[in-house]
Amino acid sequence: MENTSTSALANEPLLRIEGVSKIYDGHIKAVDQITLNVASGEIFALLGGSGCGKSTLLRMLAGFETPSQGRIYLGGTDITDLAAYQRPINMMFQSYALFPHLSVSDNIAFGLRRDGMAKEAIAERVEAMLKLVQLSQYTKRKPHQLSGGQQQRVALARSIAKQPKLLLLDEPLGALDKKLRVSTQIELVNIIKEVGVTCVLVTHDQEEAMTMATRMAVMSAGSFLQVGSPKDIYQQPNSRQVADFIGSVNIFDGLVKQSPANSAQAQCIDVECADALLRVPSNQACHVDMAVGVAIRPEKMLLSHKKPSAKINHVGGVITEMTYFGAHTNYHVKLASGKVLQVQVQSHVDEDNADLSWGDQVYASWGDNAMVLLTQ
Amino acid sequence: MNSTALKWFGRSWMLVVYAFLFLPIFTLVAYSFNDSQLVTVWSHTSLRWYKALMQDSDLIAAVMLSLQIAFLSALVSVFFGLFSAFALNRYRRFTGRGLLSSLASTPLVMPDVIVGLSLLLMLVSVQQALGYPERGLFTILLGHALLGTAYATVVVRSRLTEMDSKLEEAAMDLGCRPWQVFSLVTLPLIMPALLSAFLLTFTLSFDDVVLSSFLSGPGYSTMPMVIFSRARLGLNPSINALATVTIVVVSIVVIATTLYSLRQERQRKRDMALAQRE
Amino acid sequence: MASLMQTLKNSIPSWLTGRRLVIGLPYAWFLILAFLPVLIVLKISLSEMQSTAVSGMVSWQGAWPSIKLDVSSYLFLASDELYLATYLSSISYAFYTTVICLGLGYPFAYFMARAPKQWQALLVMLIMLPFWTSFLLRIYAWKTLLVNNGLINNALLAIGWIDSPIEILNTPFSLLIGMVYSYLPFMILPLYANLSKLDARYLEAAADLGCHPFKTFWLITVPLSKAGIVAGCMLVFIPAVGEYVIPELLGGPNTLMIGRVLWDEFFSNNDWPMAGAVTIVMLLLIMLPLAIYNKLQSEGRA
Repeated sequence: MENTSTSALANEPLLRIEGVSKIYDGHIKAVDQITLNVASGEIFALLGGSGCGKSTLLRMLAGFETPSQGRIYLGGTDITDLAAYQRPINMMFQSYALFPHLSVSDNIAFGLRRDGMAKEAIAERVEAMLKLVQLSQYTKRKPHQLSGGQQQRVALARSIAKQPKLLLLDEPLGALDKKLRVSTQIELVNIIKEVGVTCVLVTHDQEEAMTMATRMAVMSAGSFLQVGSPKDIYQQPNSRQVADFIGSVNIFDGLVKQSPANSAQAQCIDVECADALLRVPSNQACHVDMAVGVAIRPEKMLLSHKKPSAKINHVGGVITEMTYFGAHTNYHVKLASGKVLQVQVQSHVDEDNADLSWGDQVYASWGDNAMVLLTQ
Repeated sequence: MNSTALKWFGRSWMLVVYAFLFLPIFTLVAYSFNDSQLVTVWSHTSLRWYKALMQDSDLIAAVMLSLQIAFLSALVSVFFGLFSAFALNRYRRFTGRGLLSSLASTPLVMPDVIVGLSLLLMLVSVQQALGYPERGLFTILLGHALLGTAYATVVVRSRLTEMDSKLEEAAMDLGCRPWQVFSLVTLPLIMPALLSAFLLTFTLSFDDVVLSSFLSGPGYSTMPMVIFSRARLGLNPSINALATVTIVVVSIVVIATTLYSLRQERQRKRDMALAQRE
Repeated sequence: MASLMQTLKNSIPSWLTGRRLVIGLPYAWFLILAFLPVLIVLKISLSEMQSTAVSGMVSWQGAWPSIKLDVSSYLFLASDELYLATYLSSISYAFYTTVICLGLGYPFAYFMARAPKQWQALLVMLIMLPFWTSFLLRIYAWKTLLVNNGLINNALLAIGWIDSPIEILNTPFSLLIGMVYSYLPFMILPLYANLSKLDARYLEAAADLGCHPFKTFWLITVPLSKAGIVAGCMLVFIPAVGEYVIPELLGGPNTLMIGRVLWDEFFSNNDWPMAGAVTIVMLLLIMLPLAIYNKLQSEGRA
């Protein structure tokens, strides 16, 4: 990669990960051939369950682990072999790792002092950081004298004080309780945007990833399942695993019956399932008798006592479970095949639903665009 | 047995055991103020044995030597204990880690006579080959420091295990070179453990009689060696006075440090509760 | 890029030597002071005593080294009944000490762990306090207490349990008192550390399921504190086998303890090979429980 031309450099993404793997004990692949570009200004989320390799990937970016294969470039420079303390990358640690023996301002100044910055400049920067995270009156406190939310803000201030090219966030909100999390998410994103730092964050919480990230990757077993904007991944999951991982979903298993070419608008594929015939708008390459899945989000379904007039894209069943959440109600509908369907109905949308109850025979229907064809 | 009875049974059991543990100590203190030459007969209160103690130049010389050795031994023990705790705790995989781990814990339980004899035989072999070291302060120090290092390793190691290794990573992430990570983050955080390891190894050395007896040479008698040789011959009231002095000093140090750390802990909890309420 | 590579070259070796130093220093320390001596004792125990010096084990005959192993010390050790009796009596004293310490210490640690939280630090400190004061002085104090006209005899006479002073000092009984006294904290502390971590909810769950408190104790508390019991017993038993000071001060001339034999072989008889052989056999005797202890320790950590 030494012969990169100048024109290519201009298009160079801020972070370039090339075929990076981490193999433990010679055979356990924690991270498997990851390639990824992150552009300047992006907030990129790595989402996955525990042991999916997201933390290992983050630690390789920070410099705490060395990749077994592949290279990592930051702003066009190969940083793969640099130690953590030599990289212009800073990290906000899970549960913060604030130095317990240092005050708030000393924690924030810690990294600046390592750079040999002038004393006045450090004081100035620390003050600016404290102002940014609204902790100016807490400078002298020790970390244990702060609440969880305040500690989180100190950790953020410490990690951006050195003005890193890349900021890493390891489960940034994992240590906060649920109520605080939502407001902190927005606050955190606002500060990151204000500073303008590029961000890679790791989380197991899909809501956190969706609300904070501009782009995200769903990880499993050391590989990316899908990379895209939160909306794309939610609306157009490319596999059962992704559809299942992000939010709740109903998946109908079936066989491709035929592809009725030249249908009205887009190309459609007919899928025959146990409970219904589904006509799915899709231009994926399919052959007859191929086993596929059709994913439909619970909130995109409608429930009614009346049988829809069309022959396709609806199923009938009996309500077996009903949970009232206030803003919406979740129904479990047992179909003839034994499959249980989850349906979420907004409370105010459809006053008709008021009389839906246990044991009712109902029909679930949905729009054409609610369906996503899953070939893997 | 109902729960109240059980509670009282528990309390009396503890009281009896504490009495058993403290009886000899109280006896030492009480008899040190007894005027009688016979340690078992009470005549009247006096400071006679303290005066005798102050004129006992052999014993005072021995105390000075013991203090000197204990101080040096504690320093050396904490130094090597820090290294071995660090090696065992921070480097999970290296050849011979298991051997180091068991070598470091063996002196904790090994009978003193075995440690003393084997060290002496080795030092004699070395001396025959190299003409050095002469038996004396240095050889006693080696024995005490070996024992002390084993104890210091345990103390420091448990502190290192408690410490969040993310703190060290955070330091490195913020630009610390490895030695800076150690001096700016690790060392300040394990300082309390180093201090208690120092106190513990100091006491061990100050108390030891078996290793010293094996390893000392002519002219080097530590305080416990002098006490031991006198105690073997019979009872000697000025030992009671010496015991009282050491007990008072040690108790003050131990009680003060315990109260201090308890207070710190309480203050810390109060701070944390306060921070959560804000 | 060039400067980056330069920094790299400067930093990586410092890492490596740092690691090597951190591991190498304590390794050398313990190898030289804890491992090498045992090898030397083994060598000496297999040598022959020549007047005042130990003979060399390796002699040179022409170009060939000839190694002479002299097992006479071991043969003597095996043939002399006194040694066997001493080993057995050391082990039995250590065994009784361990059992009594466990019997006294377990209930103590149990009640200590269940005492109000704010008192526990103080209670632990009170257990440690005697440990910080000189062991030798405390044993010496027992001598004062146990002599014929000492405090204990006088007290027993005063309450009329005995008519004339009984012989306590310099008997196996006084030796056991001293041993139990000295080693009790080593039993209590690991037991307490273990029992204080025991989740009270297990006991509540057992009670909830209809288990009587005594049964709960045997079925829940004791099995869960097994690690503490083993650690405590090892910490008492192993050093007790080789104890020297306590039998010397409290045991009188007739109590047989191997530590005293070793001391006498070395200091009085000047028989180094014999002292070496006694040591090696004692080492082998305690190696087994020590190995079990180390294994349990490492399992406990993992």
